Amino acid sequence: MLKNNIDSNRLEVVGYDPTILSCGNFLVLDNDIAEISCNINGLHIYPLVKALEHIQHVRDNLFFKLVDKDKNDYTRKAFESDPVGYYIKVDPGIKLEEPVQAAFLLCTPDSTQIIHNIIELGDNSQLNIVNGCTTARHENRGRHIGITEIYLRKGSRLGYTMLHSWGADVEVFPFGVTEVEEKGRFISNYVGMTSVKKIVSYPVAYVKKQGSARFYSVIYARPESNFDMGAKAVLEGDEASGEIISRVVSEGGNVTSRQMLDGRVSGSLGHMECSGLMLNDHGVIHSIPELRGAHPDIHLSHEASVGRISTEELSYLMTRGLSEEQARALIIRGFLDIKIEGIPAKVQQLIDDAIERSISGTI
Amino acid sequence: MALLNIKDLHVNVAGKEIIRGIDLEIEEGRTAVIFGPNGSGKSTLMGAIAGLPGYDVTKGLIEYKGHDIKQLSTDDRARLGIGLSYQYPPAVKGVRLRTLLESMTSDREIIPEYADMLNLSGYLDRDINVGFSGGERKRSEVLQLMVQTPDLMLLDEPESGVDIENISIIANALKSLLEKEKPITKRTRSALIITHTGFILDYLRADVAHVIMNGRVLGCGSPSEIFEEIRLNGYSKCSNCFAEQFKENNIC
Ligand SMILES: Nc1ncnc2c1ncn2[C@@H]1O[C@H](COP(=O)(O)OP(=O)(O)OP(=O)(O)O)[C@@H](O)[C@H]1O
Ligand SMILES: [Mg+2]
Repeated sequence: MLKNNIDSNRLEVVGYDPTILSCGNFLVLDNDIAEISCNINGLHIYPLVKALEHIQHVRDNLFFKLVDKDKNDYTRKAFESDPVGYYIKVDPGIKLEEPVQAAFLLCTPDSTQIIHNIIELGDNSQLNIVNGCTTARHENRGRHIGITEIYLRKGSRLGYTMLHSWGADVEVFPFGVTEVEEKGRFISNYVGMTSVKKIVSYPVAYVKKQGSARFYSVIYARPESNFDMGAKAVLEGDEASGEIISRVVSEGGNVTSRQMLDGRVSGSLGHMECSGLMLNDHGVIHSIPELRGAHPDIHLSHEASVGRISTEELSYLMTRGLSEEQARALIIRGFLDIKIEGIPAKVQQLIDDAIERSISGTI
Repeated sequence: MALLNIKDLHVNVAGKEIIRGIDLEIEEGRTAVIFGPNGSGKSTLMGAIAGLPGYDVTKGLIEYKGHDIKQLSTDDRARLGIGLSYQYPPAVKGVRLRTLLESMTSDREIIPEYADMLNLSGYLDRDINVGFSGGERKRSEVLQLMVQTPDLMLLDEPESGVDIENISIIANALKSLLEKEKPITKRTRSALIITHTGFILDYLRADVAHVIMNGRVLGCGSPSEIFEEIRLNGYSKCSNCFAEQFKENNIC
């Protein structure tokens, strides 16, 4: 048990696990920072409000520079309130394998949590962050607004993993923008584990010369869930590349999945794959893959599908003695199994665990 | 006692009658082979015995180990000991071959051992049949049967598209499954094999052959004699000669 009688299991479910070696921690309960630690030279973790106070660079060049404060009511609300969240900075050349663990817990029913995080990776540095978001109790009602601005300087690499386990009555509005400078690499992973009343998220990455942005998302939508999720990669430097992979299972929930690759200059390379699996006839999967090319010398492609489990595959497994239930479970697990290149095994394990929980519903 | 006893079986596929009154018996410990031209209903017969969806039994009896299994689901039949090696095994994306095999047996140690026997050690951690060559798929089918150890093996063209060396690997695996090293009276497992080339029979002795045409069994006889007849005269010319032969060999 943490202080305030918070059940630490809720945090472990979203990857905030003190038994895992990490190079830093950051925990927010409602709108208060409850834990902050940083164990490595060259890595800096500050409360954003302190960073704004003391570091002019953050104020002048980073804060609400990628996300437009006037984008909508939520961003305006975030701009007007005292910023709660982190400013994480990695010095040039520092390469860190162990992840930074961060978690944002909505404790008080009917409250609104507003988070603003800024990440800045210096030239040729490397970092992995696992961000867990959850409510203290699954039944809780509430709202989470999140602003994330990520700056990846030349040649740096960030693995940014979001594990969400919201309550059935929570509304979530994240706004994330990433700037990937020359040869930088951005790997974004999202796992939505539980039902959520509503989540609307459409992170965007602007990718400069020879940089890359890859978005992976796995959503298991239970009844009464509404996900409106996607990702967009704007390839604006020569030979920039983008990849968007989304796997959606609807067990009665509604999912709109929007992906866009926007190739603006020569050598843009991008691929996306949006696959949806319908387990029954209650939910809706609406997949909207978009490609935009503004230069002849680009290559963008997509594969998209929505359908049920193939009867042939199901009966094939059943001829081996597996029950229909077992066969379905294997196929669903296989469908959601995503192996992500470029992240440490430990983070992949957290992702695998989260996916397993989302399928089995054991949260 | 007959392990499998099929009586006056009629099967519809997509609303069309494909199997049109078949009688067939397989004794415990025996290997039977089915010959028949393309489209005659051989795979349909196996699908109906295994209980695959889409094979609609409209009439007749499928008795296995003394019970009518027509109403049983595919997995129930598999658990009773019916195993099918597909003519065209489907690929199952995302599911590793090892994962499937591990859900079939509690004895995990046999998996790498059998995989090695079938030259599939490097394939256990690949998705089932995804990107497998034709011959690899057939070996993967036999590997799955070895782990399943069914009492009745339905082998739908186990050697088609398989090179000579791999046919012998497949045949050896099947031989050990079918306990061919034991005297015939001591064997308990049975097989029904569909083959066009007959190659598999060079390694694996069949006890009896049935010829199927147009959804009916013309009759049965000695595998080598019938196969020779088909090779010489083909199916269309020879439907009568089979009939003659079947009368002479009263072995079914
Ligand atoms: N799903 C289906 N829809 C329509 N027709 C089908 C279907 N499945 C089988 N058939 C038809 O049933 C007939 C028998 O098919 P089957 O696969 O049993 O033949 P087979 O004897 O195994 O042939 P082959 O030697 O070519 O494998 C064929 O004419 C085939 O076109
Ligand atoms: Mg066939």
